[in-house]
Amino acid sequence: MTRFSLFAAAVSTVAIASGAQAQERTQFQYWYGLTGQLGEVVQKQCDLFNASQDKYEAVCSGQGGYDAAEQNTIAAYRAEQHPTVVQIYDAGTVNFMLSGAIYPANKFAEEHGIDVDWDAYFPGIANYYATSTGDMWSFPYNSSTAVLYWNKDEWAKIGKDKAPATWAEFAADLKALKEAGVECGFAFDFDTWMNLEQFSAMNGLPIATLDNGYGGLGAEVVFHQTAFVDHMKNFKDWMDAGYAKIQTSQVGKNLIQAFADGSCASTTSSIANHGVVKSTQAEGMNWDVAMLPVLEEGKRTNSLVGGASLWVMDGKSDEEYEAAAAFLKYVTAADTGEKYIAENTGYIPVTTDGFELLKSEGFYDREEIAGREVAIESLTASDVTPLSRGIRLGNFTSIRAEVRAELEAAFTGQKDIETALNDAADRSNQILRRYEQTYRGADLP
Amino acid sequence: MIERTPVLDFVTQAILVISLVMLLLPLWIVFVAASHDYQTVNQVPMPLWPGTHLFENLATAWRDGNFSRVMLNSFIVAGGVTAGKIGIAALSAFSIVYFNYRLRMVMFWLIFITLMLPLEVRIVPTYAVAANALGPFEQILNLIGIEIGLPRWNLLNSYSGLILPLIATATGTFLYRQFFMTIPDELTEAAKMDGAGPLRFFFEVLLPLSKTNMIALATIMFVWSWNQYLWPLLIVTDHANYATATMQLQKVVPGPLFGAPPIWNTAMAANLIVLAPPVLVTILLQRWFVRGLISTDK
Amino acid sequence: MPVLEKRVTFSNTWLAAALILPQMLLVFVFFYWPTGEALYWAFTLEPPFGGTNEWVGLYNFDNVFSDPKYWSSVRVSMIFAIASTVLSLGIAMLLALFVDRQLPGYQVYKFTFFLPYALAAPAVGLAFRFIFSPDAGFLSAINRVFPDLWNPALDGFDALLLIVMAQAWTMAGYNFIFFLAALQSIPRNISEAGAMDGANVLRRMWDLQLPLITPTLFFLIVINITDSFVNSFGIVDITTAGGPARATDLMVYKIYTDGFEGKDYSLAAAQSIVLMLLIVALTFIQFRYIERRVHYS
Repeated sequence: MTRFSLFAAAVSTVAIASGAQAQERTQFQYWYGLTGQLGEVVQKQCDLFNASQDKYEAVCSGQGGYDAAEQNTIAAYRAEQHPTVVQIYDAGTVNFMLSGAIYPANKFAEEHGIDVDWDAYFPGIANYYATSTGDMWSFPYNSSTAVLYWNKDEWAKIGKDKAPATWAEFAADLKALKEAGVECGFAFDFDTWMNLEQFSAMNGLPIATLDNGYGGLGAEVVFHQTAFVDHMKNFKDWMDAGYAKIQTSQVGKNLIQAFADGSCASTTSSIANHGVVKSTQAEGMNWDVAMLPVLEEGKRTNSLVGGASLWVMDGKSDEEYEAAAAFLKYVTAADTGEKYIAENTGYIPVTTDGFELLKSEGFYDREEIAGREVAIESLTASDVTPLSRGIRLGNFTSIRAEVRAELEAAFTGQKDIETALNDAADRSNQILRRYEQTYRGADLP
Repeated sequence: MIERTPVLDFVTQAILVISLVMLLLPLWIVFVAASHDYQTVNQVPMPLWPGTHLFENLATAWRDGNFSRVMLNSFIVAGGVTAGKIGIAALSAFSIVYFNYRLRMVMFWLIFITLMLPLEVRIVPTYAVAANALGPFEQILNLIGIEIGLPRWNLLNSYSGLILPLIATATGTFLYRQFFMTIPDELTEAAKMDGAGPLRFFFEVLLPLSKTNMIALATIMFVWSWNQYLWPLLIVTDHANYATATMQLQKVVPGPLFGAPPIWNTAMAANLIVLAPPVLVTILLQRWFVRGLISTDK
Repeated sequence: MPVLEKRVTFSNTWLAAALILPQMLLVFVFFYWPTGEALYWAFTLEPPFGGTNEWVGLYNFDNVFSDPKYWSSVRVSMIFAIASTVLSLGIAMLLALFVDRQLPGYQVYKFTFFLPYALAAPAVGLAFRFIFSPDAGFLSAINRVFPDLWNPALDGFDALLLIVMAQAWTMAGYNFIFFLAALQSIPRNISEAGAMDGANVLRRMWDLQLPLITPTLFFLIVINITDSFVNSFGIVDITTAGGPARATDLMVYKIYTDGFEGKDYSLAAAQSIVLMLLIVALTFIQFRYIERRVHYS
């Protein structure tokens, strides 16, 4: 054992020595979840930050996915090796709020001199990442919302040049499209973010009690008792009537592919895919994005944000926090942050400042960008209501999976929609009770 | 072959060729995808015939993935895992098969059970061990009342951290055990009669006989450790020094995220790059697949 | 428990201990210690970031066993393990026996059959999506003749078939290498003796070669079954994601989604224990009943 520990001592000395060389700049760790091209955009932003000044260095590492980023941060935190800043997706928000492992963004900004105008954030975005009392605990970073992608050429066949504003109108359009010979009027899948979460928020329907969970961990889901059930029944009817098709990568094309190549006349997806459609669309196809239809015109509430935010972790040194503060200042600024992200990805600006800046520079007049402002319109369609500010449910990842699996069962004819959604709700509530028990004694901030 | 069997030869070749096509079809698709431009690769269905952009895509992938810097790391890691595993597994299998002690079966099962739980399931505590590899010993010592602080042996961002945990599995031990069991007892008896001790028997009889199996194991281990993805991503944050080739795939392969442009051509080109070294190693190793090693000794 | 033992052994216990020590140390530090902690969570409710966890006894197991979806996942996993093992071992053995005949071209076959195993997961996912998608893939041709015959997105049986084929495809290369190594270790004089007895090629394969490679066959059966229970979540994740309607929700994929994605470590730990016990039992059965038929020296 003595030899072993000598060896270990030697190893650790070497490690310290080699770490000490590069200490001219203050380093801090930043972990992100985005992968592929999007991850490269994040990495590039780090490089730009490092090049913009010579006091601090952001050491950025992609973790290979949103869920991996959360998992790895947890693992590292428990071993006291965690990063100072980490990008965490929307569904991880509640875990981080309850973790006791983070340095709340509002407090961090105040104590480290980041001058954040919290009111400049679009309320729909701010509320999603804020506690029930409205304090923002993380910095919104890459954000998007859901919109309707519609093919103008196909709609022209039924003599319309405007996207449907209500689901009833949409249904009538689908019927007309079918009669006009359009093979597939609408591509859908079982993603709950679009079908359940956005739908419920925009129509003022609850997903769970206690204001969708913001009021505490005792919330129960109620989506099986709302208009969501009929909404799904409509989807099923449209499918059975041949108006709509299920499009997932398993059937060969996902929603975006099916829309972009012109085989389906409409779909619902994230605004972040705007650029993807532009770059892969069938040549000459005329299309646009619009706000998602609602149940009743004039009763539209704001849609929900999706994406990820930046969290500051606790337990790091003052130097690291100082460096992280400089970085966060850089990536949340309208020009070096929001504009950079909006110009290099399909994500949208998160503050009015960022949006105005982009608008003033003619960003939204560019041919390949035009239409993306619809996302902002949708996010700000109304004042934020208790039902449209977000969803704060424990282990929401698993709840999404339950709903998806039950919808699949319903659409493949194993059970009817009502039974499927009742089952999904039962199982979701079991998940919530487990979560509540795991965090017994903890207060949801 | 020893005799002429034209019908059987034809059937054999037919089956081999059909299997070749079936097994290589997915690879072909990867190759084709890597040879088209962004527009074409995103057509549904994608063409089945290669396009003209292969080298362009390879160049882009090579640059984006920073492969000129990470290949060496991958070789060190995969080589280290392979060598470590071949050696350590041979020793432990030798101990289990050729020594007569009461705990041998317990040991075998203790090693064997490591196959039964994937890393994903135990990732959080495994990370803690990697952050301080002597931690378990320290905790045990403290538990039995010896309050001693062992130094912290941090394996994060190090070759040891990339290599050691991957050696700690059972495949090798089990394979050697299977092979050692087939070696005739007469050989051991003869060695003993010659007065050879266990170590001499091991090095001079057992290891030479195991050569083919060892190469098979080395091939598998090299490829397996080369393709490790989750563990390196977790413990390497110093990408400049310790990133491995497979880790770079996350930089190019589009995720299932909204807005991730499906740049499959570059992603598949990167896959081809990552695939190439293990394939070359496999081809090299297979040259040593030699027939009938035992026969000379019988 | 393996019943077979060497007749002739060495008796230097200290040496035996020294030989096995490196492996045991690694296994202890990187497997048993962390696994022990992870499994302890099965009896508590562990919050992701740690902190207070309370002892809940068998509550997590109760949650697992009272879930009908869990039992269907056990059933699916069994079918998957057996089907993919039989398929990939069958293919690999046939190919190895034929390649071992060293007909023209065998140098090419020797390493190309191994290639599937060397391909990294994202590429496998893309390739399989292309081959198997009912709208756009190769199999769309079948659907043109028999509409809706093949639809893994909506038909649970098709989806299960898809992951079986994907798993068998990757493992075929792995198995092939070991079979070939085993065949090539058979002394040439044995097959020559067979040929002189007048046995034809197929007969010789069956009577001479097969019995001699049973130790490898046994090794591969155990490894394949274990692997299909333990490491198959990657395949599931990139092809079917457990769907449709949980038709391909393998036990290990459920552990992966509950633990790795859902961060419910305790529920994942309880399922891990069940999975481990199941595989230990299966392995035990294999050692007990199949290994008896293995032909060692």
